Amino acid sequence: MVFNSIKFVVFVLPVLFLYWSFFKKSKVAQNVLLLASSLFFYAWADWRFLFLLIASIIINYYLALKIRKEVDDEAKQRRFLYIGLVFNVGLLLYFKYFNFFYESFVELINVFGITSSYTTLSILLPLGISFFTFQTLGYLIDVYNEEIDPSHNFLEFSLFVAYFPKILSGPIERATKMMPQIQEKRAFSYELFVDGLRQILWGLFAKIVIAENCATIANPIFNNYEDQSGSTLILGAFFYAIQLYADFSGYSNMAIGLSKLFGIQLMRNFATPFFSTNISDFWRKWHISLTTWMMDYVFTPLSFSLRSYQKNGLIISIIATFVLVGFWHGANWTFVFYGLLHGIYFIPLVYSGKMNTSEIVAKGKFFPSIIEFIKMLLLFILIMATDIFFRANSIKEAINYIISIFSDDIFSIPQGLFNSNYLITIFLIFIFFFIEWNNREKKHDFEINNYNIFLRWSSYVFLFLLILFFGKSSETFIYFQF
Amino acid sequence: METLTIKETISGVLESTLEHTNFEMHDELTAKDVDGWDSLSHMIIITKIEKAFNIKFKLRDLNKLKNMGSLVSVIQSKI
Repeated sequence: MVFNSIKFVVFVLPVLFLYWSFFKKSKVAQNVLLLASSLFFYAWADWRFLFLLIASIIINYYLALKIRKEVDDEAKQRRFLYIGLVFNVGLLLYFKYFNFFYESFVELINVFGITSSYTTLSILLPLGISFFTFQTLGYLIDVYNEEIDPSHNFLEFSLFVAYFPKILSGPIERATKMMPQIQEKRAFSYELFVDGLRQILWGLFAKIVIAENCATIANPIFNNYEDQSGSTLILGAFFYAIQLYADFSGYSNMAIGLSKLFGIQLMRNFATPFFSTNISDFWRKWHISLTTWMMDYVFTPLSFSLRSYQKNGLIISIIATFVLVGFWHGANWTFVFYGLLHGIYFIPLVYSGKMNTSEIVAKGKFFPSIIEFIKMLLLFILIMATDIFFRANSIKEAINYIISIFSDDIFSIPQGLFNSNYLITIFLIFIFFFIEWNNREKKHDFEINNYNIFLRWSSYVFLFLLILFFGKSSETFIYFQF
Repeated sequence: METLTIKETISGVLESTLEHTNFEMHDELTAKDVDGWDSLSHMIIITKIEKAFNIKFKLRDLNKLKNMGSLVSVIQSKI
């Protein structure tokens, strides 16, 4: 069940009404309603794995309490942490990566001349597993590191894991930010509610106007890339890069906006990443909840253990972290390669020591400088190249795609460029980035509460009309498969 | 070692790593308050502090660091 479906609206409106009427009296009532709705939502999406989700909640809840109970015995604490790591990572490995490792292993022994055939197991991927296992893993590690106290309230902890706005596709929440909000009764805030609606509208626009229109152009190009000219392939990669961003950031904005309607603020997941002047800056703004998770729980311990190797240790840690970021997306070598490329992009930054420069581009000004513009453009091209790996079915296909770009017809006019759907999509993308650019210093892309009432309502009506005329419905999001 | 001396040394490390002095050394100062002090530069800063005081941190020490005050007391406990 996706957010932009009638079914979801029919589900969420009564919940919202109950939440702010009969259930608003106490935090327990609010939490009971939210948890019941979340379990219903998850079961509706895929009831077969509801028990897996519940088992994960129970096991992680008790392990955290055990870790804290043994606070005077580090060895015991570590044992409980390891049980938690094995359980959570094990779930992910089994459901998501088992066939991948199995196939890769068989192919490896085939290389050595031992012929072996294989049949893969038909393992279904539980929805949202990459998101909720990361959330519970982070929780256990935080409890172990004494950064947070474990929850002694099973209801609150269950809601922290299963909360429906973010269970299927994130943001990957942290207990430090989310738990305190669940532990208090939520009071209705008109400003927050309206801000949530705005963010949902913006997310809808990104998803069903921008992402879907880009998809209708990118899909046929990627599906028949052998027959396309080099220039058309560049265009395909361009539209896919925009599609991927609009799809996931649109989803995230809808999730965050939806949560605001219930008075719970989730973490920001995208902060205008294409307005970045280097790769480090880009990753501070792209899928922030995953990147910060990887930084805290993978990069930091790894770079700590390799710190005596100085910059080389840092580079190894960055590359390993990004390979894992890539692999997190799916059990395919294409994602590993995607992560590897991003890791490699960091190398010049580490050596030049310019890794930490993170500023809003052209802060306080309307136009970027020419240098800033060129840097953003070059970075976009580098990202676009990696997104070809993200989209392709195999590394071979991605490499063939890139080789085909550099053919004789690279400077020809792309096929269909002057078709109306191309021109309209380019126009819509322009509007999308124009609004983003204007709001790049704000807390989200469509935080327009400082506009006057006329401009505010014109913006709503304008977006609404664009959605009405150019929106395309889709029952899926790219990130649901992860 | 005097708290003040420790703070001065840390301040020097921050200055040489981050290439600016836009921060004031006080116990409540956190990495978030200092431009450029993020998870990437953090490790470089930690390594330089270890060298400056000739100490070794544990990963768990690092996780317990909340602000400048706690960094100073962890260093003091190791000297």
